[in-house]
Amino acid sequence: MQLEKPPHMTDADPGRPEKRGGADRGARGALAGANEKPTSANPLRLILVFALLYAFLVSIKLMETAFKGMGSGSADGLLAGVTNPFAGLTLGILTTVLVQSSSVTTSMIVALVASGEVTFGAAVPMVMGANIGTTVTNTVVSIAAARRSSQFYRAFSCATVHDVFNIIIVAVLLPLELLTGFLSKSALWLSDILASTGSSGVQYKSPIKASVKAGGKQVQELLEATGLEGTWLHVMEVVVGLALIFVCLRWITVHMKALLINRIEHSLNRALARSGLIGMAIGALITVSVQSSSITTSLLVPMCAAGILTLDNAYPLTLGANVGTTVTALLASMASDNPLALAIALVHLLFNVSGIMLLYPVPSLRAIPIRGARLIALLAVRNKLWIIAYVGVVFVVVPLLGFILFK
Amino acid sequence: MFEWLHGGKSGIAHIFQQFGQMLEDGRHTFDAASNALLGGTDPRVVRDDLYATDRRINELEQRIRREVAVHATVKGGADITVCLTLMSLVKDAERIGDYAKNIFDLATDCPAFHEGPEAADLVDLKNRTSRLLAKVRNLCESQDIEQSRSFVEEVDDMLSECDKRVSALTKGELEASHPVAAALLYRYIKRVLAHQMNIVSSVFMPLDKLDYFDEDKESR
Repeated sequence: MQLEKPPHMTDADPGRPEKRGGADRGARGALAGANEKPTSANPLRLILVFALLYAFLVSIKLMETAFKGMGSGSADGLLAGVTNPFAGLTLGILTTVLVQSSSVTTSMIVALVASGEVTFGAAVPMVMGANIGTTVTNTVVSIAAARRSSQFYRAFSCATVHDVFNIIIVAVLLPLELLTGFLSKSALWLSDILASTGSSGVQYKSPIKASVKAGGKQVQELLEATGLEGTWLHVMEVVVGLALIFVCLRWITVHMKALLINRIEHSLNRALARSGLIGMAIGALITVSVQSSSITTSLLVPMCAAGILTLDNAYPLTLGANVGTTVTALLASMASDNPLALAIALVHLLFNVSGIMLLYPVPSLRAIPIRGARLIALLAVRNKLWIIAYVGVVFVVVPLLGFILFK
Repeated sequence: MFEWLHGGKSGIAHIFQQFGQMLEDGRHTFDAASNALLGGTDPRVVRDDLYATDRRINELEQRIRREVAVHATVKGGADITVCLTLMSLVKDAERIGDYAKNIFDLATDCPAFHEGPEAADLVDLKNRTSRLLAKVRNLCESQDIEQSRSFVEEVDDMLSECDKRVSALTKGELEASHPVAAALLYRYIKRVLAHQMNIVSSVFMPLDKLDYFDEDKESR
């Protein structure tokens, strides 16, 4: 900031705009549209989002029914048929990297667990893998800043802090879970509490579940009307269900972002100067709103690259996004009558909350992901080959080798 | 419920509100400093207020830049022209505060300036400049192209007036008891005028022409 400048050292004359040559009379200038009301805000979007949410639940129900219909062991899809926890973990990573959405992966896991095709125990590491796999998106986004070293350093460290945190908590919590089963036991206990109605003992019949069941039945009847039957019918149900999950989650994200764009912007402005719990709450709220942690964490990358958001303040937002994204699986579990569907969704939530409780409260532990991310970013700035090596090894080579070795 | 979900004011509207505050603060610093020089107000009386207001202007400039960056990140390319324009305009608004401080320094160095024969013309120029400064915010908000053009044309004439006065002072054709201070003040007022002209011209000038100037009037 230049303050008192002697006149001979002042900047170039700010100049005089053209009277005739610069812009046509009546033409609108550079500020045009600045005071116009945004058109993205439309109450109809809200109705559409609820419709998409319903369709999403129907798709989960459809997949659950399809897997059940195919019979035990017949679902040899990407996530089914894996019992080794390390294979499950790597499969969770690979699937999420492939579909670029942990929400899709966890929703599929919920449907598979609900159908009984994947056991609850086998699904726990898969959920953890989805947590790691989802971090690839913002890492790829940060590569856009690779040309300018200082910006890239900030962008890449912002992106990789998510990766490092998630890898660390998997490295600690997966062995702990295998030894003690603390996550699955807690989730089962919680799901029991949530599923029951307490002292009255009266079973609560959810109207949402009933309407989702009816919707799923209608889609099934539609598919049956095409003449398909037996295994082919169930395969088609899986395909339609999967396609619906993709489309619904994608459009929920698009419309919720359009609907809440001002609130997201205000929240991010507030988050610039905040850290800790408020940052986490903002990260979680944005992610719950747009149903995508990748959207939240990818928004942080350019802000960090520009230097307006520090890594220390981006970090809790990222952790909040981790928690916020678990809402998708919880929503998906609403489609099923199987209490294990809710339990696996709760594992996702408890895993992320436990990770925060493990690393965040102690300052020296809290700093580990930040230091790790800065180190990776420094290496990447010094030699761009590190970017390819890092992304390739963490998100493709290791998960692929792990899956081949442990399956 | 929908209004709550939507979050009320758009990011750009919020940024504009702060930009308007910057312009009002700029006018305040200009008035305070020029009153100390031309009105005989004791500079010590206005010093703290002037510097505090200038600090607020600088903070607003930085906050606007941050919010513009967040807005561009969230909205993508939709408002990119407005964002780039605002990044340019906040610099103009901030410079008004800087020139006010330069004027204040003249008041400190030349306490008897207001008693000289050159003061009357400068008081008139200062009053007209302040009056125009008061219009900048409204013109940016209303985006009235015709009024903005009239504004720019009026300022353009005043810029020429400043140039003529400086030239006359240099040649010794203008009676002045403090010719150096007078020349500097004309220069500072000219810069304040030019910066507010840049801001208002963005209502009808395309982005690439912002800050464009051509000393040769015939070619405009």
